[in-house]
Amino acid sequence: MSEQQYSGLTGRIVKYAIHNSTDVYRLGFWVGLVSFIMITLFPFYWLLVLAVTPDNQLYQMGIVPDNFNVGVFLTVVQEYPLHHYIFNSILIATITVIVCITLGSLAGYAFGRVDFPGKGPLLLLLLVISYFPGIAFLIPLFELLTGSLSILGTPTPDLYNTPWGMVFPFTMLSLPITIFILTTFYSQIPDGLEDAARVEGTTRLGALFRVIMPLSAPGVVTAAIIVFIGVYREFFFSFIMTDGSPENWAVLVYGILNFQQQHTQMYNMMAAASLIGIIPIAVLVILAQEHIVRGLTAGGLKE
Amino acid sequence: MGEVNLTDVRKEYEDVVAVEGMDLTIEDGEFVTLVGPSGCGKSTTLETISGLTTPTSGTIEIAGRDVTTKPPKDRNIAMVFQNIALFPHMTVYENISFGLRLRNFDKEEIDRRVENAVEIVQLEGMLDRSPDELSGGQQQRVGIARAIVREPDVFLMDEPLANLDAKLRVAMRTEIQRLQKELGITSVYVTHDQEEAMTMSDRIAIINDGQLQQCSPPLECYNRPVNTFVAQFIGSPSMNLFDGQVAGDALDVGDFSVAYDTAGTPLVDGDRVTLGVRPEDIYLASDADDIAHPSTPVTVSVDVLEPVGDQTYAYLLAETDGETTELLMSLDPDKEINEDETVEVVFSRDDVHVFDGAGDAVVHSLVDPSAAADDVTIEGEA
Repeated sequence: MSEQQYSGLTGRIVKYAIHNSTDVYRLGFWVGLVSFIMITLFPFYWLLVLAVTPDNQLYQMGIVPDNFNVGVFLTVVQEYPLHHYIFNSILIATITVIVCITLGSLAGYAFGRVDFPGKGPLLLLLLVISYFPGIAFLIPLFELLTGSLSILGTPTPDLYNTPWGMVFPFTMLSLPITIFILTTFYSQIPDGLEDAARVEGTTRLGALFRVIMPLSAPGVVTAAIIVFIGVYREFFFSFIMTDGSPENWAVLVYGILNFQQQHTQMYNMMAAASLIGIIPIAVLVILAQEHIVRGLTAGGLKE
Repeated sequence: MGEVNLTDVRKEYEDVVAVEGMDLTIEDGEFVTLVGPSGCGKSTTLETISGLTTPTSGTIEIAGRDVTTKPPKDRNIAMVFQNIALFPHMTVYENISFGLRLRNFDKEEIDRRVENAVEIVQLEGMLDRSPDELSGGQQQRVGIARAIVREPDVFLMDEPLANLDAKLRVAMRTEIQRLQKELGITSVYVTHDQEEAMTMSDRIAIINDGQLQQCSPPLECYNRPVNTFVAQFIGSPSMNLFDGQVAGDALDVGDFSVAYDTAGTPLVDGDRVTLGVRPEDIYLASDADDIAHPSTPVTVSVDVLEPVGDQTYAYLLAETDGETTELLMSLDPDKEINEDETVEVVFSRDDVHVFDGAGDAVVHSLVDPSAAADDVTIEGEA
């Protein structure tokens, strides 16, 4: 090898890279990391810039805001019922999580811990259904939930403008993933522990809620978070099932959309509302993260 | 009050019959061990008693109540598990008091009972620990404390010592025995270890292929096995079994024969029989004077010697016409005997078992009971 081959700038760089591969790997790592952080965090930054830019300057907005109008965060809370929308969202998401975890636990127990004929096909069916887009159920669900259908002569209840009109489809859409997660976790709890609980005096259900579920805490928390976030950010059914007023259980996304009125579009307010709306989820994830770590380290099974 | 009664219990899993025709009565306060090779149905039997499994047919009574279809929680039983099965998310105190708390005992009563149980299993001062901070032996003690704290009618133990190391196992064995005697609770103990069964139980129930073979006190199982399975299963090393047939006044097993008059037994000339001789009932011909009724000597060559300390196992080969029969004898390690040497051995005729063609015991001694003082009875059926 002669020095000749590495002449010129490119040649020198190549030579350096070959002889200092650690530096190249380190460079690659930082490039990757910085790009990832940019990609994930830039939208938040952009929202922030959008929120604090006064609305008459929005048309010439740049990467760095020219003017700061921090008052917008107060405006969205004080002059608009943002807190009411957020409350609705949290309540509906919480109810959905409770229903999903309860039903999902029963199903997860059956799929994970009981042998019964047709278990495989049933799980497969569940998987298939979970891939259906929610919109595919729109018309039948809307009819069902607005009292337009009658089953055996009884009209279905009109759930329009009630939280149940959203909880129902959300539960339906979130259950398959919940069942899958819980099935996996519940199946890993040793049979001996369930047997012990039953001999000590619980029913099968008692063993599920007193022993299997607490020991599957990481799985239960994970499933709950996934469902909660899924519902919290859901737009489609939230938009269909209410008229958009907070008294009628309109959720956060609908509330944000309400800033977009017929002639004006208050982008800065929408951005501010979005940022405030993120806070509950952020808090939840931070709290849950601790739970998940604790759950994972609890362990201590002897099998 | 703590009597357990199994009547014609049968359990099928899809097309496998795990337990069949199980009739078993366990008296109040008795310690019965279910023993057998893996997959023999002993654990399934225990599960039907515990209620973790419902039998396909048959009835189970505990303390005089029919509990066949009752869930475990309504049977007033407690169980100790092989995998210990302490609840990892609870402290020792919460584990032990779990059953009492479920039954809404008041706090003082729970504390009193837990205190008492912890004292019995010698685990004082560990109540606030979590199970994973305890050693294997301590964990199993917690398991036992959790069982005794409820003062159950029946105490079920499913190989509770199998996951412990050898030394601890022997220590815990004694401890469980002592506890059982002290508390006087009816106990059903499952193990695959015949030694554990022999040392701990009032009676041993030997199970094979889902069927109860024999349920007798340990020494009776050893001295009077009802069939070849029990004969081989109980005792270590296993009993020698030789296939042969009745030939006139002798039982001929090919390479040697043993004189025996079959008159007064169901056996007739030409019947297939199996001769059973325990390794400890074979003696060197030179020591024949030490036993009451030695058989005629059999010439054998010494194949392999296995010294284990207090005795030596000798694998012997009896050979005629190119056919060989293998014998195992245990002998005093002081005896001068070398591999490849040819020696003569005798059987103690008092301890030779004869089984018929189906493997069921016919007699447990070749010495005529009227001639000998002891009362050898004839057991025909398993």
